[in-house]
Amino acid sequence: MDKRIKIALAALVVRLVIAPFFMHAGDLGTIYESSAIALHGGNLYSFVYQQTVQMQQATGLPIFFEGYAYHPLLIYFFVPFYWLYTVIAGPGLVIIGGHFPNLPVLVYPWALVAIFMLKIPIILADVVVVYLLAGFDVRKAEFYAFCPYVIFISVVWGMFDAIVAVFLLISYLTFRKNSYALSGFTYGLSTMKLYTIVLVPLFIVRLWRQWKALGEFLLGFFVTLIPVAYYMIVSPVVFWNVLVGFQGSRVMGGVNLYNFVWIIPDVQFDLQISKLPTILLILSVLAIVLLYGRRLPLLEAILAVMLASFVFGAVLNEQFLVSILPLMLLCKRCDARIWVAPFIFIFLRSAFYYFAIPILWTSPYFYDLYFQADTVWKYIQTVGYLMIPIYAVGIAFSLLLLWNLIQVLTTVDGPTAPRTLSRVIRMRRK
Amino acid sequence: MHWSLDSRLRMKVLTVLFIVYVIVLSFIPLVHQMFVAQSSWLGYGTGAYAYQSPSYFVLFNDPYDGSSKPNIHVNPSSAPNDRISILEFSDWTSYVDGFNLFNDFNVTIRASVDGKVLDATYTRPGLTLHKLIDLSSDSVEVKMIANKEINAHIELWKWVMTSVNTISTASKPTVIPTSTSINFTFDDQSLNAIGEGQIILSRIPTQIEIWPFEDGFNRVTVDFINSEMTFTVSGSITQPGQVNWNYADLPYVLPIIAIIVVTSYLLLAKRYGQEDKNRPSRTRR
Repeated sequence: MDKRIKIALAALVVRLVIAPFFMHAGDLGTIYESSAIALHGGNLYSFVYQQTVQMQQATGLPIFFEGYAYHPLLIYFFVPFYWLYTVIAGPGLVIIGGHFPNLPVLVYPWALVAIFMLKIPIILADVVVVYLLAGFDVRKAEFYAFCPYVIFISVVWGMFDAIVAVFLLISYLTFRKNSYALSGFTYGLSTMKLYTIVLVPLFIVRLWRQWKALGEFLLGFFVTLIPVAYYMIVSPVVFWNVLVGFQGSRVMGGVNLYNFVWIIPDVQFDLQISKLPTILLILSVLAIVLLYGRRLPLLEAILAVMLASFVFGAVLNEQFLVSILPLMLLCKRCDARIWVAPFIFIFLRSAFYYFAIPILWTSPYFYDLYFQADTVWKYIQTVGYLMIPIYAVGIAFSLLLLWNLIQVLTTVDGPTAPRTLSRVIRMRRK
Repeated sequence: MHWSLDSRLRMKVLTVLFIVYVIVLSFIPLVHQMFVAQSSWLGYGTGAYAYQSPSYFVLFNDPYDGSSKPNIHVNPSSAPNDRISILEFSDWTSYVDGFNLFNDFNVTIRASVDGKVLDATYTRPGLTLHKLIDLSSDSVEVKMIANKEINAHIELWKWVMTSVNTISTASKPTVIPTSTSINFTFDDQSLNAIGEGQIILSRIPTQIEIWPFEDGFNRVTVDFINSEMTFTVSGSITQPGQVNWNYADLPYVLPIIAIIVVTSYLLLAKRYGQEDKNRPSRTRR
């Protein structure tokens, strides 16, 4: 069998085995709820908007319900699998609640089937990435296929950044082959988690004065915006509030230097100060696009913009790195081993047993163990011990991203040989 | 290496600026704690509010479980960042006209424009109850005002009170003589501190009951029939215990962490940079 197919199959098997037994209850619960709403033709954003209005009225604070705040297209990757699930198990709810700070109620055995089915699109995205990478370098494909961080995000957490990754990778590959319409279309699909939107000015600059190519790219891109236009016409207030209001006014934080804000219990102050990284993000992206956008090779240019947005942007969640990891693996100047930082961060930010709820909820004994462990975890969290490593890892990751950004930017006048940390370390060992 | 000096210099400047940025930002929590967070109700999380006065820290609506409505903490003078809970008003176990405050009312919370008073409004058909929390330098006032006469059962928790109105032992829940003053002593187990507290009521209630737990009491229940009642709570630590690490100490630590991490990064970058710099020259030889 072709080595490429072997690796893709191995990646598939590893993921299928793990998938049913773990989840991030809040995030997978959101996809489950949203799939049900979409299947019944409901407005995805109304539920989130109503919850937000209710929370804001109750508390008098500018806080948002953390539900489905993504590109409308995203849910249609999950709906067919949710529909298939309902054909098998019926329409009854099997994952109930689970939005922070509540814990979900799971109905067995169907909850495990639902969790498994909803992860299939993510698993397929991972497998396609592995297959495509194997076309360049088998070792890079193996890296992605068996990277604990990628596996954790995709099938333990159940987060779909792998879908962003696959479309961003395809967009890059098709752009290189001058298939601009397809590149624009797949790029549009990669914006389903919104943070890749920073690449729009780069693509425009790259195709400036090549009007036909630019037109094709934008045509492909605009096709993916049709559902956005639909929601903007049908329910503009709701859609704007959920997508732009929430994403645009998020308090900074994540695996970055800004997570110190989590110890400032003052949401008004936090929101004000969160404007600073947003300004820096805009300035840094514009600077890179204008100064390096055309000078750098396409791969490095894409990575430079994405890395700058991660370094300076307000929010950098644990999963975001997955989206550019395939591109980093293709780039000789990047060191993809920085995945270790967000991987460590996951276990500092969330209790490890939280992801095992589908297993722990199967027995009263395990259920009780969960709460015993949670008492200890909450104590450590409340006293503030965890915040110290959280902050340290956040800064360290920002610095590692900056290091990679500098490596990418110096491609313009750098040496031809790759200059990765791993290569330097190998030199030292010799 | 063939990088132009300009390019390398630019990247060095970028690194230095970023490091300065990291360190400057690390002081923000401290600046906030010293200059912004004092003596004003501040909202956060999923609807929690906190107030830090020179001597009291008051939490309303715990961000994890919605308890603490409010939870009054005292800051010992010997360790101003320590927060020792002296009394928690529990909505979970309190009732008004037979309705549970946590489950049977819609609650909206608002801080006054000047941030000095927190108003939690409890509503259900035909009944509106305001819980107003106001802090002065030496006490915390929790005022309950209803739109009609109510029959209220309010539970006040502390783990554990070693005596209440001079009573230090009881084998079962005990009704004590009603008065407008409830004095208690407590032993804070986490910090081994000993302290005392006082609750002054604006009116004589219909009943005060104390509930035994281990070597003391863990709650006082106050029943009253009226449209208004004010609980003025004060307390102090009479015998300081050990000084422990506290969440409020974090703002002092973050700049140190930032400096350690960026220093480590610079050392590593320099070390690997040096190795890398040597590499091509050796190759060329």
